Amino acid sequence: MKAPVFEAGNVTKVFPGVLALDEVNLKLASGSIHALLGENGAGKSTLIKIMTGVHRPDGGVMKIDGQPFSPHTTRDAISSGVGVVYQERNLIPQFSIAENIFLERLSAKPLQRIDYPALYADAQKWLDLLEIDARPETQVDKLNVARMQLVEIAKALSLNTRILLLDEPTASLTQHETETLFGILNRLRENGASLVFVSHKLEEVQEICDRVTVLRDGRNACESRALHGLDRQDIVRLMIGRSEQIPQWNQRDISGDKVALDIRNVATQDGHRDINFQLGKGEVLGLYGLVGSGRTELAKALIGAGNVTSGEIRIDGEIAKIGSVADALHQYGIGYVSEDRKGEGLILIHSVLENAGITVWKRLKNAFGLLSDRAVVNSVDPVLKKLEVRTPSSRQIVGNLSGGNQQKVSVAKWLAANVKILIVDEPTVGVDIKTKAYVHELIRELADSGTSILLITSDMPEMVTVADRILVMDEFELRGEIVNDRNYDLVSERIMHHIHGSNEEAAE
Amino acid sequence: MSGIEIDSAAVPEAAPKQGRQLGPLQRFMLSNEFGLIVLIVVFAVVFWTVSPMFLSKFSLYALGRTSAVNIMIGFSMMVVIVTGGLNLAVGAIGVCAAMACGWLMQAAGMNWVFATLGGLAVGGLLGAVNGVVIVRSGLHSFVITLATMSIMFGMMIFLTQAESYREISPVFTGFGRMKLWGVVPPMLLMTIVVGVLLWVLFTFGSLGRQILAAGANPAAAELSGINVGNMVIWCHALSGMLAGIAGFMLVSRTGAAIPSMAGQLGQDWLLPAFLAPVLGGTLLTGGRVSVLGTLLGGFLVTMLTGGLLLMQVGAFWIQTYLGLLLLLAVLLDLARRSYLARNKLV
Amino acid sequence: MKRELWNQDWFGPFAVTVLAIVIVGALKPSFLSPFNIQILLLAISVNALVAFSQMVIIAIGQMNLSVGAIGGLAAISFAGMMEVWGLPWPVAAVLSLGIGLLAGLTNGLLCAYTGISAFVITLATLSVFKGFNLGITEAQPFYDVPEMVKWLGNATVLGPIPWLVLPFAVSAVALWYLLFRLPLGRSVLAVGGNTHAAELSGISVPRIVVFAHSVSGLLAAMAGIMLVARLQLGQPSIGDDWLILSFAAPIIGGAVLTGGRVSVGGTCCGVAIVAIITQVLVLFNIDPFLVQVVLGGLILWAVGVNRIREVRGQRKAAAAGI
Repeated sequence: MKAPVFEAGNVTKVFPGVLALDEVNLKLASGSIHALLGENGAGKSTLIKIMTGVHRPDGGVMKIDGQPFSPHTTRDAISSGVGVVYQERNLIPQFSIAENIFLERLSAKPLQRIDYPALYADAQKWLDLLEIDARPETQVDKLNVARMQLVEIAKALSLNTRILLLDEPTASLTQHETETLFGILNRLRENGASLVFVSHKLEEVQEICDRVTVLRDGRNACESRALHGLDRQDIVRLMIGRSEQIPQWNQRDISGDKVALDIRNVATQDGHRDINFQLGKGEVLGLYGLVGSGRTELAKALIGAGNVTSGEIRIDGEIAKIGSVADALHQYGIGYVSEDRKGEGLILIHSVLENAGITVWKRLKNAFGLLSDRAVVNSVDPVLKKLEVRTPSSRQIVGNLSGGNQQKVSVAKWLAANVKILIVDEPTVGVDIKTKAYVHELIRELADSGTSILLITSDMPEMVTVADRILVMDEFELRGEIVNDRNYDLVSERIMHHIHGSNEEAAE
Repeated sequence: MSGIEIDSAAVPEAAPKQGRQLGPLQRFMLSNEFGLIVLIVVFAVVFWTVSPMFLSKFSLYALGRTSAVNIMIGFSMMVVIVTGGLNLAVGAIGVCAAMACGWLMQAAGMNWVFATLGGLAVGGLLGAVNGVVIVRSGLHSFVITLATMSIMFGMMIFLTQAESYREISPVFTGFGRMKLWGVVPPMLLMTIVVGVLLWVLFTFGSLGRQILAAGANPAAAELSGINVGNMVIWCHALSGMLAGIAGFMLVSRTGAAIPSMAGQLGQDWLLPAFLAPVLGGTLLTGGRVSVLGTLLGGFLVTMLTGGLLLMQVGAFWIQTYLGLLLLLAVLLDLARRSYLARNKLV
Repeated sequence: MKRELWNQDWFGPFAVTVLAIVIVGALKPSFLSPFNIQILLLAISVNALVAFSQMVIIAIGQMNLSVGAIGGLAAISFAGMMEVWGLPWPVAAVLSLGIGLLAGLTNGLLCAYTGISAFVITLATLSVFKGFNLGITEAQPFYDVPEMVKWLGNATVLGPIPWLVLPFAVSAVALWYLLFRLPLGRSVLAVGGNTHAAELSGISVPRIVVFAHSVSGLLAAMAGIMLVARLQLGQPSIGDDWLILSFAAPIIGGAVLTGGRVSVGGTCCGVAIVAIITQVLVLFNIDPFLVQVVLGGLILWAVGVNRIREVRGQRKAAAAGI
């Protein structure tokens, strides 16, 4: 390996009560795309924040070109040539592309008149380089997500960035957009840039990266290793510390069960067409799709939070009219565990009791509309116990619980309401491996006790572990159905075939 | 910038962020309400030392009457703040309801019971209109109520031609002058009764809890089967009625329904309306409420105003003190919260 | 920058203004009489500064309830310094502008460094400043305003154009130049558009907040001083009725309350529309009390239009996929 452009040696970061990074090493070479991998909470984002000056390390050294590098602010990092493109958009929506690209440069001279023609001409060079097909004076809120991302890359590069960190850059891109992005990244690599690629999608990592650093529990599981010769299984082993185990749960017989939810020719305002599927009583039906494929939107339409424009929904054989979430819950017993726990799942400033009891208030109120705490506790406590929610008391504020316990509370409220059908949306994003296994067992247990479950996930191992049958969704349509025979390679290949196969057809 | 944000998953499962366990008494002593009670006692002693007149029957009676109105105005704002919104039109609605009540008594010759009910209905209706427009348009309550305060007040002035109604039912005016046991104005009791009802609503009522949930996190509440829009409309209707009651109290005190009783566009009510709940620890971002705090906050504000007047600091400077008080209150609350957070006592 | 004319923020309000002038002028020729135009311009000049004062704060996505209180305080300081201390009017004016600046600076520092919402801060300072005003004047006006000031407040430069148009025109151009040509002003809009992104681009958000509030205070003070010249006395109640107007005009002009988007031209048109409507009510003998109703209605209409435009813009972007 050539002399590294960037080097981190024994970087350590302590947060109150947590050792987030424990003597982590990283070497970046010029003209290289370096994968930074690890499970949620392994320390990737902490490392990125230290490299970009958001956090300061508690130990260790960083060097750029052999010179010590210790940024105090993002600005320091930028002036040393370290740039980052975060997952969330960091553009001023009302400003033009050109102004966004050069915002940093503009704010340096607050009272010098902006030369717009020159600004647009400069910006055009970056747009040409990155093949962004838009005029520099276009307002960025008129761009789609992929182009906004490219504008952010242009913004980072315009600051003489030599080390560019990309945090999940493909998360909201379509396949085609991803390929365009990869073309651009490859070109930047040829020009000598040093890129860091953070992603959960191992297929993409293998396609584009040349070196890899894996973090596990805040430590290096491997450091700046050549990616060549590592296969998916090897990488996963590095990430989770053991090989990717697909628990061999026995096949459940679901053929004789009654149909709990029957969806016929459903279309929605979000753009779903001809959605047909049946969910059996006590079945775990997987709904696989990438982000943006319309899975969450379908779930929300089914529980009355979106609009079903045509088609028929039958519950236990009867046609259901679901006008609101309240209808879905109180009349038909359908619940929805949101993927966005903090935004949509829980009320963080309220207590465990309030959060878990929110679904039963209407049922428990007396003739005057009043509730007794005891009644709520009686219906919520058994569920909290069953789920082993660890909290000092049910009066504890939910925001103070750990991620795993919060997730349990967001499931508990539906169990307290005795739902018969539970839609679970990406239940294990952001939880550690132990909790993940627990959530899987929980889903299985619920199904065994008769609850019908629609499991939405883009986590392939999770899907293969838990689901009985798998539906594949892409671009707001169902592409196919697979009976899960728990053979990971076979099932994942078939799922991918359904998605990519349909893309190829569409391209023709 | 997110200075100390870390991945939630990075927090080990076995270490819930939990500080020392506190007993109920300690908990109360760290609460906002306790702080207010201390302040009320301290200031009462100070005013009494400076001017023994402060604890005279007359002075206490006046304090009771004024605080009844201020607390009611505070309640009116409080029930909207819990939804995470605000209602600039409290004053305008309060005056509209009072003028409607006055018109019903004077021009329509109605009996006071029906006139009051009619005025209350006007207040509730105007509030509900605010709520409906906010929910339907999806815009922030600030700009909507800013517009409607102007519209409602303007319509009221147009309809009444800025004339007062002075033929108020004697029952009404008698209520305003009545004294129980020599010092207690029945108005204050009425305010306390309303406070208790509100407390019951938010503590034991299914509706109250749904309102709090909707205020704290509308998306989560909606996905848990709560009709957030309806909650907002309810709160604004309730706010309108409470503002109406505050207006009636002023009418019964002065013996007339006067269009200017809350100043230009009803703006004079804005400060007391926000002071009471903010001092009382009601979260401006919604989802948390303290009825007792609002009551104590409204009382403290009134007492300070009365006490300062008694100390002859100059009536014209009162507003400055009240403004400084609001600033001080929010800054102290900030300090208290960060102290509690630092010591993990929340 | 090279957007179509009808897509410009100010085009809608401008079209409405022109249309209103044409229609009212046709129905009531006296509307276009030099005297009436002078009255209109006087009202527009003062009100535009009130609106600008709020617009700068809307640009950073906040609100300033104390605009009127600052204006009133500056107004009575101006009149008071001339009457009580006998200061020459230019000195009094500069000092009063300084008071406005200081008041705005206080707002800005409190908003930027305590993290408390601008709404609560400015509600409190509204009361503080108003209290100063009443404490100083004891609610009595200062009557002794120098002749020169009285003359400036009502005399005309050319035809029906009053002198007071001058400060208005200068501030409008200066604000436009600041917000749309200077990096400092772009930073103000950047903070309103996306605070986090602005911060990551090296913009000091607290400083920008302080700057915007200071400018707001200065503009409010200027409006107050101009009003003293126009009314020929230092009324303590100056500023009491600015709140609605200060929001109405920028919103009619296309400003978005969440920040990042304001239009100087649009705001001027917003002020003109309000002034024309007020005049029309007088000319057609309609009850002047209805002005408030119309103002409130205009705000609702304008936020509705802005909202529809926003939603349509998003849909168009999604459909075109550019």
